[in-house]
Amino acid sequence: MRRSSTRKTASSKATSKELERIDQLFYSYANRSSNLIDPEGIEVLCSDVEVDHTDVRILMLAWKMKAEKQGYFTLEEWRRGLKALRTDTVSKLKKALPELEKEVRRPSNFVDFYSYAFRYCLTEEKQKSIDIESICELLDLVLGSQFQAQVDSFVEYLKTQNDYKVVNMDQWMGFFRFCNEISFPDLRNYDPELAWPLILDNFVEWRRAKHS
Amino acid sequence: MVLHKFGEKLYSGLVSTMTSHLKDISKFIEAAQGGLFLEELNRKWADHNKALQMIRDILMYMDRTFIPSTHKTPVHELGLNLWRDNIIHSSKIQTRLLNTLLELVLRERNGEVINRGLMRNIIKMLMDLGSSVYQEDFEKPFLEVSADFYRVESQKFIECCDCADYLKKAERRLNEEMERVSQYLDAKSEVKITNVVEKEMIANHMLRLVHMENSGLVNMLLDDKYDDLGRMYNLFRRVPNGLSTIREVMTSHIRDTGKHLVTDPERLRDPVEFVQRLLDEKDKYDKIIGSAFNNDKTFQNALTSSFEYFINLNPRSPEFISLFVDDKLRKGLKGVSEEDVEIILDKVMMLFRYLQEKDVFEKYYKQHLAKRLLSGKTVSDDAERSLIVKLKTECGYQFTCKLEGMFTDMKTSQDTMQGFNSAHGADLGDGPTLAVTVLTTGSWPTQPSVTCNLPTEMLALCEKFRSYYLGTHTGRRLTWQTNMGTADIKATFAKGQKHELHVSTYQMCVLMLFNNADRLSYKEIEQATEIPASDLKRCMQSMACVKGKNVLRKEPMSKDIGEDDVFFVNDKFTNKLYKVKIGTVVAQKETEPEKQETRQRVEEDRKPQIEAAIVRIMKSRRVLDHNNLIAEVTKQLQSRFLANPVEIKKRIESLIERDFLERDNVDRKLYRYLA
Repeated sequence: MRRSSTRKTASSKATSKELERIDQLFYSYANRSSNLIDPEGIEVLCSDVEVDHTDVRILMLAWKMKAEKQGYFTLEEWRRGLKALRTDTVSKLKKALPELEKEVRRPSNFVDFYSYAFRYCLTEEKQKSIDIESICELLDLVLGSQFQAQVDSFVEYLKTQNDYKVVNMDQWMGFFRFCNEISFPDLRNYDPELAWPLILDNFVEWRRAKHS
Repeated sequence: MVLHKFGEKLYSGLVSTMTSHLKDISKFIEAAQGGLFLEELNRKWADHNKALQMIRDILMYMDRTFIPSTHKTPVHELGLNLWRDNIIHSSKIQTRLLNTLLELVLRERNGEVINRGLMRNIIKMLMDLGSSVYQEDFEKPFLEVSADFYRVESQKFIECCDCADYLKKAERRLNEEMERVSQYLDAKSEVKITNVVEKEMIANHMLRLVHMENSGLVNMLLDDKYDDLGRMYNLFRRVPNGLSTIREVMTSHIRDTGKHLVTDPERLRDPVEFVQRLLDEKDKYDKIIGSAFNNDKTFQNALTSSFEYFINLNPRSPEFISLFVDDKLRKGLKGVSEEDVEIILDKVMMLFRYLQEKDVFEKYYKQHLAKRLLSGKTVSDDAERSLIVKLKTECGYQFTCKLEGMFTDMKTSQDTMQGFNSAHGADLGDGPTLAVTVLTTGSWPTQPSVTCNLPTEMLALCEKFRSYYLGTHTGRRLTWQTNMGTADIKATFAKGQKHELHVSTYQMCVLMLFNNADRLSYKEIEQATEIPASDLKRCMQSMACVKGKNVLRKEPMSKDIGEDDVFFVNDKFTNKLYKVKIGTVVAQKETEPEKQETRQRVEEDRKPQIEAAIVRIMKSRRVLDHNNLIAEVTKQLQSRFLANPVEIKKRIESLIERDFLERDNVDRKLYRYLA
């Protein structure tokens, strides 16, 4: 007879000491009255880990925490993130960032991160789309390193066209599929008969007109 | 002899005797000169037949007993075979016989009279000798020679005749050949020889005939040459692709003419003319297909598809057809019998069926109907209703329920007015009379609400009506539509001229101001009435700048209305009639900006319809791929308008955003309905 026992793997084990330190770290950045880490606090955090607050790795950190509101971290989210990264000090956090980036960029995780990035930017209740300006920044931030050429071209299109003032989730995800499946810059295998979001049909048409 | 077992001897004796006899006859026939050749042959054949009969009778016993058991050829047949072998197939006769026969046929074709009886007998002889004899010794060469003959002749004709003449000649030749067969050839040859004529004279020259300059198919169509067209139809239907050739040329001609018709700027000036021309064109071709083309269904279909093609080339067709109907219902059908009214309305319905954008027609029809109803300008209530019924039959209840609502409102308003007048009639005394039509908002074409200050004389009365109405219909909201009303004003001018002026509500408001002032500036009028500037300017123009209607005088006398213009009553106003109509509430062709606006409204209206169709389809199918969804949506909306695939895609994406649908995670082409 085998006795079943719960095995705690190293990554989920956190001693009470570590948890205490994580909480302490939280309060060192948190706003006294709201008990949340607000944008100011995040900026301090960023300079501590020596990463610019517009850097994609902060977004990745938010993803790891499953943070809901852009610019804010709750205690619960903070605990979740740092426990998962097995860090409880600033220096450990700094060292964990490259590993985190690798993890996020794994294809199995990246889609989730990509869609998270969009949702994270929806600030208002019931908001479903993001303005063009912000989308362009977000695209560059999230996909710039992987698909620079496509991002640059699409951003140029978005800035010059007049049909769309905002981009929604469906279009956002569509662009990611586009980058992964369509050969660039020739766009040879793009088939407008398939159910690509209309904004991408228009993008392709614009590109073809521009480069003909 | 047979009985005594000498059958063999008898038989072979018969054979040899007959053979040698026939050889003699053969020489005799060969010797015949010229025309006598056939006659001799004929005579000898008749003799031979008689002889054969006798011989058969005499040798009947042998025929019945010896021959069957030895499987020898029966006597009669033997006699025929021997004739065949020794006479017909003799080297000196065979060719000569054929040539003679063919020459006679040629001469007859060239107009000579020949001895048909003799021909008949000779041909019958060949047929009696066996169908293979007839075919090999006559029919086959006959057909070949005929083919050559007609090839040459058709070439000659086509060079010098016009299409109609050529067809007449071809028809004549065809009939000739059929007669020839019935007179002296085997009936089975008819089909074969007619095929030859058809091929050589018709099939080989089909395209050249159809496209012949100045006399070809198109010219015949233009000139309504029913006989010639009928002849062409009957001849061409005999050959492969004959009718489809005619049909194709006719179709492309109709499409070209139609395209020219709908895009010619001259024609587009008068919508009523435009539509009348379309109806005339349809009538013309209906007549042609009926009289000349045997009411052929495929031709009717070609006509329909051509009309569908070019009517929709002009985006204003729906508007123009509605204007045509408006013209007819306002005055065109005056004095026309009920049957004829039905005929005209049915023709209009037929054009309506060709329209792709039926929803655009509906929008205009509603506008025009509203104007007709409100101005009381319809020739016949029955005709109006009849057309609504036809539209309902064609498009369903949805299409016409609002239109019917408009009629109901008119009737109800009459009842309301009766009630109002009997309740308050006494109070009104000498004051102005009011006739109100209450419009249910959803049924009538949408109008933006406008400001307009009614004159004091009217205000009290209007309020009385409002409270009367709301007294019986609590919970409703009434808004005066001052841009749609009319008024009749009695006016007395300085020199004593009295006139009754029929004006719009706006114009009435302006004119009433002059009861209390001799001169008014444009600005003062604008302030007092609060009528929107563009409407006010138009209304002032029609009262001050149009000859015969200038009840007002303007300083300066320019045609345009300026902000600083001043107006006076025109003391010198004259008009032959007592009742003067100023201000039109009549339906007209829209101006460019109005047209754009209507088109925009139509496009806006289409969006919810497309969405409803998408949701309906996805709800029942649950999962569907992109292309099929587009196809189904298009099909569902076909009876109202042609849905644009890009627009459908936009609506799908909007529905995705609002969580009615989602894309499948794995197969990007699939959509899923979210309950």
